[in-house]
Amino acid sequence: MPLMGLAGSDATHRSRRRIEASLLLALIVFPLVSGDTFLIDRLGRYFLLAAFAVSVDLIWGYGGMFTFGHAVFFGGGGYIVGLLTTHEAAFLPVPLWAAIIGAVVAVSLFAFALSYFVFSGRAALRGVEFAVVTLAVAVAAERLMNAGGSVTGGRNGILMSSSLGVPGVISLQQGYGFYALAGLLLLATYVGVQWFLRSRSGLILRGIRDNADRIDLLGYDVPAIKRRAFVLSAAIAALAGAVFYVHEGIVSPSAVGVGASTLVLLWVVLGGRGTLIGPIVGAILLPYLTATLSGSLLDIWLVVIGVILVAVILVLPSGIFGFLNRERGT
Amino acid sequence: MNNHGILSGRADRQRTRRDVARGTGYGGLGIALVLVLAACTTGAPTGAPTGASTGTPISSTPVSSEPIKIGILADLIGPFTTYGTSLANSAQLAVKEINAKGGIAGRQITVIVEDTQTDVSATVDKARKLIQSDKVDLVMGPIGSDANDAAYKTVVEEGGKLLFYTETFEGGKCNELYFSFGAVPAQQIRPLIPVLQQKYGPKVMLFGADYVWPRRSFEIAKPIIAENSGIVVAELYLPLIAEDFSELVKTVRDKQPDYIFSLYPAVWGAALKALDDAGLLDTVGIGTIFLGDPDFGGVAALAEGSYTALPLFTVADAPGVKPFLDAYAAEFGAGKIPSGGEGVGAYDAVYLYKSAVEKAGSVDPKAVAAALPGLSFEGPTGSVTITPSHYLQQTINLVQALNGKYVLANSFPNMDPEEACSL
Repeated sequence: MPLMGLAGSDATHRSRRRIEASLLLALIVFPLVSGDTFLIDRLGRYFLLAAFAVSVDLIWGYGGMFTFGHAVFFGGGGYIVGLLTTHEAAFLPVPLWAAIIGAVVAVSLFAFALSYFVFSGRAALRGVEFAVVTLAVAVAAERLMNAGGSVTGGRNGILMSSSLGVPGVISLQQGYGFYALAGLLLLATYVGVQWFLRSRSGLILRGIRDNADRIDLLGYDVPAIKRRAFVLSAAIAALAGAVFYVHEGIVSPSAVGVGASTLVLLWVVLGGRGTLIGPIVGAILLPYLTATLSGSLLDIWLVVIGVILVAVILVLPSGIFGFLNRERGT
Repeated sequence: MNNHGILSGRADRQRTRRDVARGTGYGGLGIALVLVLAACTTGAPTGAPTGASTGTPISSTPVSSEPIKIGILADLIGPFTTYGTSLANSAQLAVKEINAKGGIAGRQITVIVEDTQTDVSATVDKARKLIQSDKVDLVMGPIGSDANDAAYKTVVEEGGKLLFYTETFEGGKCNELYFSFGAVPAQQIRPLIPVLQQKYGPKVMLFGADYVWPRRSFEIAKPIIAENSGIVVAELYLPLIAEDFSELVKTVRDKQPDYIFSLYPAVWGAALKALDDAGLLDTVGIGTIFLGDPDFGGVAALAEGSYTALPLFTVADAPGVKPFLDAYAAEFGAGKIPSGGEGVGAYDAVYLYKSAVEKAGSVDPKAVAAALPGLSFEGPTGSVTITPSHYLQQTINLVQALNGKYVLANSFPNMDPEEACSL
């Protein structure tokens, strides 16, 4: 069986490049030919969800760390930006750009602390144990946000007061500007994660996924590599989430909960775990279908989505791109 | 060796060619995808007959005969399904009646219902779709307080459109383009408290889910309780969907209130069950402002004796109630009944919107907003009037659960929302 993802033959590598190129071309050309500013805005949102999905694929698809709590980082990015830009206290509120940097730094630190306890030492968690811990973190985070009173806005969450862009110069809050911002962010995420996976750390990470004991016996520091990938993944999720929720205008407790954390897994599974490009397509396709079908098939849309998902998973257990890669790889 | 080299070279070349073909295939696929998407998105509006008529200058139909578009944000799945369905159905019932009688100033009304899935993110997305893509003239809904905040920001602040919120809620919102058609705390609490106090005694326990609606309602309730010489002996908040009610049981046992004033909507049955299991349900009176007809059925046995104040109950005796319920059942199926607040609120709202558009002579949000205050409508529960503060003065009905059924205790016409908002 060929290694999933980047380490395919030259042929799969070339065809992968072509898929990337045509997808990129399509996404650049699309806003030029479509006059539907709402759809463009919606696609921009999906780009940020896609960056979130890539962050999950990095640790799950390539690192074998199955997580039920990644929305803690995505929604956490949104919450921290909200806290830093809407409250008035000592040095608050800070400008949006500073809040976004603050969100990425804070979430990364939290992820580092969490991964330090989770991956290191004798009690190092693997597989299901790790998934259960992430689940607990997500449940706790949602409750904490709910119980946060006037600080987190309780159940209603935080209404964002700032908008994307440079005030007085350019607004990136909606439409084309937002599309471009979100698109560039996704592109940077995609290229950055690929670069990481090609690096020595990335290679070892995939080794850990396939056989952690062997990598350990070869003398590599398994917890350190896992931590590195986990923190990178959390930072990406925080950045995407920060921008996403500023555009959204509101961030509420469900943003950091188990529901949101599970949804992203569906996108990754649908597109193809361990393919990077698959989760991007999954994170655009499934929310798009949900949004359009829930308007046009009011009573049965959930059933339709469910049937599509079950069908895809039965017919293509490795997702759309996992299937395509295997077809070409053999 | 040589042969081998030639062969492999040929194979390489073939593969390269095939790959190139495949590559162009993908490129073509990408471009085709773009074109299809573009065609879909630009095709939809021009495909509609009304869109086409605006383009032709010598069209026989003037621009003003285009339908007026009302977008509805309704939670059709998730915990708020009952309310979302009531909201969407009742609004559509009013629209159908108005359209049958010639529409608003001769223009028909088109309704676009979007499922907000009891989800804040979906609410933002659907609200933006209604405004930017469907270009609706009015947005109605959604249900939850959190979704209301999201819709308020998206529709009113960002989109500059009218938002009609029809849910029983905490009040406190104040904006030129924002109107509330549901019941707000003072309207329900003012009639309820004296009845409960007279029946059970002065000691009240406030019990609510831990979010903004119960908290603000109780702040409004406290002075009303004091005016009636009542005493608040306990105030308890539990999570919206609590798993453990021992704190509730303990508080009731320790503080021995004469009655509990409850704003604990999501799992009210579970709370009642816990009190019943502890043998406390017979020792304490209960009043709520949320348990409408559709919710009552499931907890009827446990809710025996309790009082509820809301705009609409099937047992309300206003002359408009029966025709409204009959029309609702005829439209959506026998046995279907609207919930106690949002349904009748949405029905009234559509009729009041019609009056306002006709008075303003335009669907411009600001013009309609300016025309709305002071307008009255003879709705199912009686006369309703929009106050200068953009809330609805309306009848509140008070019922008591007796022998598993709601019985009308009293009716309170023209209840003032008491919301201070000067615009």
